Amino acid sequence: MSRSDSPAGSDFDGYRRPDGRVGVRNHVLVLPSVICSHLVAEEIAEQSSRAVATPHDHGCAQLGADNEQTKQTFLGTAANPNIAGTVVVGLGCEHVQSDEVAAAIDERGLPVRELSIQGEGGTDPCIEEGSIAATELAGNADSTRAAPASIDELTVGVVVGDFDDSTLEHANPLVAELVDRVVAAGGSAVVAGNERFVAHQSAVRERAAAATLNDVDAMFERHEGLPPRANVVGRAAASADADAALGALGTNPIQEVLSYGEQAPNDSGLAIVDAPSRFEEAATALAAAGAHVVVHVTAEGVPAGHPIVPVLKISGDAETLEALAADIDVDAREASADDLERALLSVAGGQETCTESHGLTEFAITRVGPSM
Amino acid sequence: MTPTFNGYRRANGRVGVRNYVAVIPTSVAASSIVRGASEIGAWAKPTPHQMGTSQPPAAREQTERVLVGTGQNPNVGAALVVELGTEESDAGELADQIAETGKAVETLSIRDAGGTRLAVKRAKEILKDLNEEVSLARREEADASELIFAAECGGSDATSGIASNPTVGNASDRLVEDGGTASFSETPEFIGAEHILAERCVDDELREHLLERVAQREEMADMMGVDLRGAQPTPGNQEGGLTTIEEKSLGAIAKGGTTPVEGMVEYAERLPTGGGLVLMDTPGYDVESVVGKVAGGAQVVAFTTGRGSTTGNPIAPVIKVAGNPKTWEKMSNNMDVNASTVFDGDSVEEVGGRLYDTLLSVADGQHTEAEKRGLEEFAVNEVQPKQIAGSGVGR
Amino acid sequence: MKGLVIDDVGLKLTAKDNVATALDDLDAGRSIDAEGVDIELLEDVPFGHKFSLEALAEGDKVYKYGEVIAQTTQPVEPGAWVHTHNAESTRGRGDLSEVGQ
Repeated sequence: MSRSDSPAGSDFDGYRRPDGRVGVRNHVLVLPSVICSHLVAEEIAEQSSRAVATPHDHGCAQLGADNEQTKQTFLGTAANPNIAGTVVVGLGCEHVQSDEVAAAIDERGLPVRELSIQGEGGTDPCIEEGSIAATELAGNADSTRAAPASIDELTVGVVVGDFDDSTLEHANPLVAELVDRVVAAGGSAVVAGNERFVAHQSAVRERAAAATLNDVDAMFERHEGLPPRANVVGRAAASADADAALGALGTNPIQEVLSYGEQAPNDSGLAIVDAPSRFEEAATALAAAGAHVVVHVTAEGVPAGHPIVPVLKISGDAETLEALAADIDVDAREASADDLERALLSVAGGQETCTESHGLTEFAITRVGPSM
Repeated sequence: MTPTFNGYRRANGRVGVRNYVAVIPTSVAASSIVRGASEIGAWAKPTPHQMGTSQPPAAREQTERVLVGTGQNPNVGAALVVELGTEESDAGELADQIAETGKAVETLSIRDAGGTRLAVKRAKEILKDLNEEVSLARREEADASELIFAAECGGSDATSGIASNPTVGNASDRLVEDGGTASFSETPEFIGAEHILAERCVDDELREHLLERVAQREEMADMMGVDLRGAQPTPGNQEGGLTTIEEKSLGAIAKGGTTPVEGMVEYAERLPTGGGLVLMDTPGYDVESVVGKVAGGAQVVAFTTGRGSTTGNPIAPVIKVAGNPKTWEKMSNNMDVNASTVFDGDSVEEVGGRLYDTLLSVADGQHTEAEKRGLEEFAVNEVQPKQIAGSGVGR
Repeated sequence: MKGLVIDDVGLKLTAKDNVATALDDLDAGRSIDAEGVDIELLEDVPFGHKFSLEALAEGDKVYKYGEVIAQTTQPVEPGAWVHTHNAESTRGRGDLSEVGQ
C-alpha cells in the first residue's frame, strides 16, 4: 500500500486510544509480574482472543536498580500504544508486586486488571479469573481499525544486531534513511545498541542536543568499567569507526536519551535507548519506549518476533536471505528507502510481518544486577 | 533393608525417575523455536531461557554448564539441542558433552533447517524419532541410595522454619542414612545461619569455602549499593512473619536436616550419588536455584512453601510441601504434602516419614500437582557484567 | 514441633529465645501466661508473627531458634509485636557500605 492508495491525509488505519495515541495492533496484554506467574499468564492469553502474554524470567530476588529497571519496563510495556488494556498477573510473594504494577498502569489512565495466584487460591482459579478479565478488556476496546493516521504519529524502534559487512554496506544506510524520513515527517524513532554508544562517546555527544547531554553522561557512567553484555557486538563496536557503529541513527540530532524500559515523551524526534544490541532485550526496551513497529537488522537471521510489536526483519546477507527466506521481510541489497517506507506503513495498517506470520515471539528484559 | 523405587537405569549407571526428551536451546534466539517444537507432546520438555547468542566468557561458561547438566540429568532419556547457528556456543559441542552419558542426542540449526517454520517442523520430526527410542526404556528396581534429592524453599513465611523445612530436613536425613545424596542451596539464605552449617562441615577447607561463598553473596548487596533488605526477605516473606534474612536463613537451613555437610559444589556443577548432604552455591532466586540443582543431577525436588509458590521444573518432579495451614487449604490444588499438620501436633518425624514415602512414590512415577498442570519454569542464572568487573576475570 | 508452646498460642523455640511466634491470629489486649509470667499483647499479632517475651532496650538482640535474628531499633515492651517496624537485620547492609555507590 503506497501513500497514494490511502485516503487523503492518512498513511494507514490504526486503533485510536482514549488518550489520542494511535496503535497499529490491538492487543490485550497479559503481563506476568514475575517468572512464577508466566505460565499462568500464557495460559490466560491462550484462552482469550486478542490477548498476548509477555513471559520473562524475572521479577523476584532483584536488588535496587535492577528491580527498578524491571518495574519500569513493565509499565512502559503496558503503556505501549498497541495495547488496549492489561491484565497483570502475579504470584503474590515476590518483590515486584502485581498490585503496585497495576496501580502504576492505572495512574496513567490505562485500562488494567490485576490478580495473583496466591490471591485467587491457586493456578487453576487464577487462569479462570484471568481469562474473564482479559475477555472483559478485549470487549471494552474497539475491535476495528477505525482511525486514519499519518506517519507523524508513528514511533519506529530500531535495533541493529551486528557489524556484518552486509549490514554496514546495505542495511544501515537503508534504515538511516527511513529514520530520517520518519523524523522529518514529524514521527519518532528510537534506536538501541548501548555498546555502540559507549564505544563512541564523543561522536554521540556531538550528535546529541544540548538538553540531553546530562542523560548521555549518565548512561556512559552506568557502563563505566563493565564488559559489554553482547560480547561480539561490543568488541566490534570498539574497533569500528563511529559512522559504522552509529550508522542507523540517520542525520538528526539525538533529542532524548532513554533508560531501559523508559517511555519516550511525545514528539521526541530521534531518541536512543540504553539497551544492548541483543534483539530480544532491545525489542522489549523499544516497545516499552513506545515503538509501534521494530525494525531489526540481522545478518545472522535471529528469527523471533515480539509479543506486542510487529518486527520488520531486514538483512543484507545473501546466505541468510536464502536460508531463512521466510523469516526476513526486507532484502537490504535490493530494497529502496521508498520500499522500506511502504513496508512500514503497510505493517502499520495491519499487514503481517514474517514474525507475526510464524507467531514465535520472545520477551526478555535486561538485568543490571545479580539474582539474590 | 533400604527402600527401593523403580526407575530408568541409564547407560552411565545413573537412574532417572522420568523418561523425557529434553529440547534445549543454546541461546534465547532458539528459545521460541524450542517452545514451538515441544508442543508435539507432554514428553517433550523444553528448557527455554534468555541467555544471549554472545555472552562474556564467564557468563557463557555458566550457561553451557547449566544446559549440559540439564541434558545429562538421568530423567532425560534423549535430547535435542537447538541453535540459531551463529551463537558463540556450539550445539554440537554441547550435544557431545550430554552424549557422554550414553544417551541419544541430536542437534538442529535453525539456519540450516531453512528458518523458523522449517526448523519447528524438522525439530518435531527429530523429537518423534527420539521419543520412539526413549519409549523402549523400562523401569527397573533401584535403590534409594541412587537418588539425589534437592530441597528448595520459596514463598517462605514463619511456618517454613517451624514445619515444612524441618520436615524436608527429616526426609533428607532419612535419604542420607539410606545412602543417597541430599542437596540444598540458596546461599543468600545462609546469611545469619552460616555458622551452624560451618560447624557441620567435614573439614576446614570446606568450612572456609562455605563462609567465603556466603560472604560473596552479602557483598553483592554492597556491589549494588543497596540494603539486602531490598530483596531479602521478600514482601511475601515479611507479610508471613519473617523480619530479617537471619530469621529466614535459620528457618531455611532446617531443610538440610542434621547430617554433616560433605561438600559444596558450584552452580549447576555435578552432584555425586551416595554423597550425603552436599550444598550448591546458588542464588536464592527459586527458579534459577532449582534449575541449578537439577542440572547437577537431582532427580526429585521437594519445595517447601509458606505463602504458596506454584513453580515446577521441566526435567524433575517438584513436590510442593506446604507449611502454612491456610495455604494448604486455599491452594491445595497446587500442593502435594501438608506439613502444616505439625501445628496440630504431628511430629516432624511423622511428617518427614510421610514426605519420604511421597518422595519414593514420585520417583516411581506418581505425578506431582505441578506436573499435572504443566507448571515447568526454567531460567539460567546469568553472571552479570558487574560481577565480572568486580572479580576482574572472565571478560 | 520443637520448642515450648506457651498458653496454647505462642511457640518459643528454645530457652534462649526472647520472642515467641504466634500460633494463631492474636488480638491486642490478650493475656498470655508465659512460663508463669503474665504478658499482655500490646497490639494484634498475626499468625506466624512474633511478640516479645521480655522488655528490650533499643539495640538489644532479638533471639529466635536460640540465635540472633535481629536487633531492635527502638525500646520494646513485653507483649509488643516484633517485626520490621522495630527490629532490623544486622547483615547485608550494602546501603551502609561505600562500595558500589
